[in-house]
Amino acid sequence: MISLASYLVISMILFAIGITVMIARKNIVAILLGIELILNAAALNFVAYSKFVTQNLDGHVFSLFIIVIAAAEAAVGLAIVIRFFQLKETIHIDEATQLRN
Amino acid sequence: MFLNLLFLMSAFLTVGSAVLVLTTKNIMHSCVFLLGSLIGVAGLYATLDADFVAATQIMVYVGGVVILMLFAVMLTGGKDFISKAQNLLGLIPTMGNKWSYSIGILVSLVFVFTNIQLLSRLGTMSTLKNNGSFGSSIREIGHLFVKDHILAFELSSVLLLGALVGAAIIARPHRHQGHDHD
Repeated sequence: MISLASYLVISMILFAIGITVMIARKNIVAILLGIELILNAAALNFVAYSKFVTQNLDGHVFSLFIIVIAAAEAAVGLAIVIRFFQLKETIHIDEATQLRN
Repeated sequence: MFLNLLFLMSAFLTVGSAVLVLTTKNIMHSCVFLLGSLIGVAGLYATLDADFVAATQIMVYVGGVVILMLFAVMLTGGKDFISKAQNLLGLIPTMGNKWSYSIGILVSLVFVFTNIQLLSRLGTMSTLKNNGSFGSSIREIGHLFVKDHILAFELSSVLLLGALVGAAIIARPHRHQGHDHD
């Protein structure tokens, strides 16, 4: 009953919701939440393929690396968000225009 | 039977919480729903016999990343956090408007249709039959880390150090308060 396709469909839905969150929301922290959802969808695909197709543990190792990358990315991203809030007193993404011109 | 039940519960928790992350007004509630989605993904890892990955997912994400997100939300609340102004769709300013939601849903629909097109060929792809579980996978993962993937392992430790130092430098208090930035 549980096949590779069911995991791929869940991963697809998760990726689609994540990219919608990333594009639609205007709060910088919400954009980071979307990025976390996307990285989780990718890691889920790695583990599903490692169980159903390649039958070894390389996919688990890759998903662990993805978790490490996501943790580092969240730390740096939230540091940038806090710095941006110190400068602008808001976390609306449309206020981030300092690199314009 | 238990596996099917765990799979269904985790799948509904993952997808439902992700939809709530998209649609909730309060960013704090969005963070808490993201926590539910990440726990659901950990349950899906458990149904795939990936016990170490599931445990790492819970420890790193639920114990680390979401707590960090919640602290960032609480430190950057500002005036948007208590804003009650809503537009016609009932959206507050930090949630975007109907155009941003339209573009986002259009992009994700294109992605979904592309993915369905790719997945429709999956029936002809040769996927091996599931021949039982791995048992505990921690020993094999440890061997893979120090044998096949040793370079990526060491590089990820350097990356974590760099991210830690970089985050501390970026978020440190502003020294030149009077300096004009524009």
